[in-house]
Amino acid sequence: MNTKLQVLVIDDDAVVGRSFDRVLSEKGYEVSTVQSGEEALDSIENTKFDVVFTDIKMPGMDGLEVTERIKARCPWTPVVVITGFGSEDNEARASVLGASGFVHKPLTPEIIENITLKALNEKVVAEEPVEEVGMANKADADTAQQAGVLRKAGIFAKNAGLFFAAPFIALAYIIALPFVGFYMFAKLGYQAYNKRHLSA
Amino acid sequence: MQTTYADHFRHGDNYINPLPVRIWHWVNALGFVLLILTGFQLRYMDLFRLLSFEETVKLHNWTGFVVIANYFIWLSFYLFTDKIKVYHPELDAKKFFSDSFRQIRFYSYGIFKGESSPHRVSPYDKFNPMQMVAYQVMMLVVVPIQFTTGIMMWDVKRFGNWIELMGGIRVVDTVHVLIFILFVFFILVHAYMGALGQKPSTHFKEMFTGYEEKD
Repeated sequence: MNTKLQVLVIDDDAVVGRSFDRVLSEKGYEVSTVQSGEEALDSIENTKFDVVFTDIKMPGMDGLEVTERIKARCPWTPVVVITGFGSEDNEARASVLGASGFVHKPLTPEIIENITLKALNEKVVAEEPVEEVGMANKADADTAQQAGVLRKAGIFAKNAGLFFAAPFIALAYIIALPFVGFYMFAKLGYQAYNKRHLSA
Repeated sequence: MQTTYADHFRHGDNYINPLPVRIWHWVNALGFVLLILTGFQLRYMDLFRLLSFEETVKLHNWTGFVVIANYFIWLSFYLFTDKIKVYHPELDAKKFFSDSFRQIRFYSYGIFKGESSPHRVSPYDKFNPMQMVAYQVMMLVVVPIQFTTGIMMWDVKRFGNWIELMGGIRVVDTVHVLIFILFVFFILVHAYMGALGQKPSTHFKEMFTGYEEKD
């Protein structure tokens, strides 16, 4: 059984794929590279990836569409968007579509390694034994493990709080709904009356 | 020919309900129907009789335990992961009210004019604001009360102190029956709302295939 963490890189520029492959293979990851969104969708049918990197600007299906379709198929797989022209608009759209993060070109080995660790943290990679995932850098793995434990504790505290708060918030909304509705109708009526009165 | 995941992707269908969610949903659905049927027989024995009293009690109890176990699977995912965000409350009141009124307008007017629902479904945002509030109240308040009262009545001797604390067996029984009536209405409304997709079968198919088809 292959116990290495699986990384998929989607970029029409083969150099980017090779950079990821060079940096992450050394660290014990299994890196697959494809050059189009269509190839990526076929790949994820056959392999369960732990993290996916996608360029935004590609011929055919762009990175945003790829992100949306991958998140639709595997909602729990982190997808990181690589962009060479980081417009805020694209980042906002990718974020809405479920992207876990963004990384701007040019990429250095440190950036590639850090963004991979950060994305994997979202999957709580700390549960995996360090040797099995093949991480060469023990310090990084320990940091990821600690961050993973803290993150899990944080998730539990937040969710437990929301569990108890949700019914009260829901009941408050239900009680307030007719009053807010009445206020909005009254406001609309007042505005319509004013408009008519002023135009007369 | 069988439709593959890639076909769904190319068609632009949205993958809303992963397999574990679908299994969880159908176990719950079957459990609720069995509990309602057996509950009806236990409560109104003179109306109909599918099984003997003893068999009905056994089936009701075992189904109840399966539904409770199913609830705790859901609760574990809710508490320990970030996978069940659809039951989290909307903390932005302004967004909640504006989305709610848009949805109310759709249900009371737009739907009869053939408009599309203003709520765009995604794996992390499956419920419109009205559904969200309804499911939160059901899953976080009503269901736990129902199985707590059910467990109390399953072994009255063992849980005698708890029953006394709640005001006696009549109070526990009344709460259990009132919530049972609520569930009957819930199931009917749930099935009716399920038929309000693009086509009456859309949402039902979605709960078997996992995909929300675009047309």
